Amino acid sequence: MIAVKNITKTYGRKQNAFVAIDNISFEIPSGTSVAILGKSGSGKSTLMHAMSGLDRPESGQVVIDGRDILTLRSKDVDAFRASKMSFIFQSFFVQANETCYDNVSLPLEIAKVPRSERRQKVEAALEAVQLLDKKKSRARDLSGGQKQRLAVARAIVNEPEILFADEPTGNLDSVTGEVVEDFLFNYAKSRGATLIVVTHDPDLAKKCDARIEIKDGKIASMKGLPKATKKRGQA
Amino acid sequence: MKTTDIIRRAGRSLRQAKTRTLLTSLAIGVGAFTITLSLAGGQGGRDYADAIVRSNTDVREVVVAKESDDPTAIQEYDAEAQGGSATSPFPALGGAEVLTGDELEDIRQYEHVQSVTPNYSPSVNYITTEGQKQYVVSSLSTFSPNVTLEYAAGDVSGDLADDEIILNEDYAEVLGFKNFDDAIGKEVTINATKQRTLFGGMPESRDFIFTVVGVSSESGLAFRSQGSLLVSTDAASEVYDYINEGTQAYNKFAIASVVVDEPDNAALVKEKLEENGYTAQTAEDILGTVNTFINVLLGILLGFGALAVLTSVFGIINTQYISVLERTQQIGLMKALGMSQGDVGKLFTFEAAWIGFLGGAIGAGLAVIAGTIANPFISEALGLGDIYLLIFQPTQVIGVIVTLIVISILAGIFPARKASRLDPIEALRTE
Repeated sequence: MIAVKNITKTYGRKQNAFVAIDNISFEIPSGTSVAILGKSGSGKSTLMHAMSGLDRPESGQVVIDGRDILTLRSKDVDAFRASKMSFIFQSFFVQANETCYDNVSLPLEIAKVPRSERRQKVEAALEAVQLLDKKKSRARDLSGGQKQRLAVARAIVNEPEILFADEPTGNLDSVTGEVVEDFLFNYAKSRGATLIVVTHDPDLAKKCDARIEIKDGKIASMKGLPKATKKRGQA
Repeated sequence: MKTTDIIRRAGRSLRQAKTRTLLTSLAIGVGAFTITLSLAGGQGGRDYADAIVRSNTDVREVVVAKESDDPTAIQEYDAEAQGGSATSPFPALGGAEVLTGDELEDIRQYEHVQSVTPNYSPSVNYITTEGQKQYVVSSLSTFSPNVTLEYAAGDVSGDLADDEIILNEDYAEVLGFKNFDDAIGKEVTINATKQRTLFGGMPESRDFIFTVVGVSSESGLAFRSQGSLLVSTDAASEVYDYINEGTQAYNKFAIASVVVDEPDNAALVKEKLEENGYTAQTAEDILGTVNTFINVLLGILLGFGALAVLTSVFGIINTQYISVLERTQQIGLMKALGMSQGDVGKLFTFEAAWIGFLGGAIGAGLAVIAGTIANPFISEALGLGDIYLLIFQPTQVIGVIVTLIVISILAGIFPARKASRLDPIEALRTE
């Protein structure tokens, strides 16, 4: 379970201060798929960064599996991310010069998975997104949809418990976008992993179990999540 | 992340930027080339000097002379000393002190001393052979079996017999032999005049007959002019006795050669000789002087190499810094995936190390190839025969490469820190 408690993040100082997220709280049960909706600049990306420990809000807690990751040392947060979390970005961020295999192998190397176990995992992940035949191709030779599928393979290779997807289909046409979405939801369902999708696409949001809408750094509406938490969070 | 994986990824990033990597490496390569060749030249020079000294002197030999006051110092006039014309038996030596037979006998009793041989070099008149003219000879030199000679004809293993002589090529030529081999086994005559004693006496001279057993040739290792005519110590002593016996100069020598039992003891004996008021010089001393000279030259060359390396350090910093800026997004991704700051720093440090290794290996490798090709030409140009002046030692070459890797790592610290401190959120925003 992910419990976000009263987190606030401010950018800039004094007169220029801008509150990106303002005292937000909610709880996401494990295995739930949640869409975080909002316009650009609403603070949804900042929220995702805070939940993954990439960013440090100045107040509040992010409790994952009973541990507040905001109190961990940065090295431990890194290790935590390497073993439990994964990311998919709007602009793929695959390494164009590297082969598909090496792209997918990166998270395993970072998580110190022994070399002997890597091959099997990498191939399984590529198989899951139907890119096994492109194993030795360089990522730059792939189409946009294939690149995002490669990013999905990279995200699921180490079997994360939490998957963050930041506008995963923002750069794709609707047909390829749907293929990528299917891969994501399939993974989350089959592994019971928590999927957190940051998007402003209502169609994608509808596919999720729950929705949180952010407006001006605050929760505007919430659907499909335990009510009690919302009350405490909004207090 | 495991270090081996980081190293593999570092190597891969460099391979993806081949031209840039190669160009940066070449800058270091220039330094590696210069330094490797300098070290090889220094090593070759030292070996060459060592070979010269060893073939011209015996490592067990200590050359001893009487310690004299600084001959250039202005001295007080001493009427008695100046008046007594007979005090100095060697007017030509300008009042230098001499070694007497008693003193040599004394030195002979030192520990480790095997033999003491005065430098006889008897002054003879001429050399000739049957049917030839007489040619001037300044003095006879003593043959030492421990000093390497190169022979144009004949060969001498062990010591010379008392009636044998080694000529150099010049004498063998003027004495009219058909060729150098023809000289072997022929007899030559050396004429010496007996010095007048205080009691006067008739001037007399005598012929000494020797058989030619070898013709010595000009050697690439000839450091001082080899004696042109070499005879055994006993033969030189006999001629010396004939010339000088009964004169004041008899049994008084400017220098003598002390041979010790082990090469390592030469320094010990030298010390004892100096304590007792003699000056002594070992082969090691001569070598030391030459080596100082070589080391100064080596230092200058290494300085140039170091300058080249210093320049390339800025090249590495620049390349790596640009690389960090270019790969901001990649760094951000790796950090988002949980790569620690330290590992990101290591990735860039290893890239710098790879550049250093490549540059070092290319530069040192080219130096070895160029040096190996150039060696015969250098030796021919300088007339060194089959002695090579550039000697590459594997340990030195490896040392150069390792040093350059370390320097590259140091140069890579700044860009690596920049990479490790990148904010992943900022980095992932870059597009």
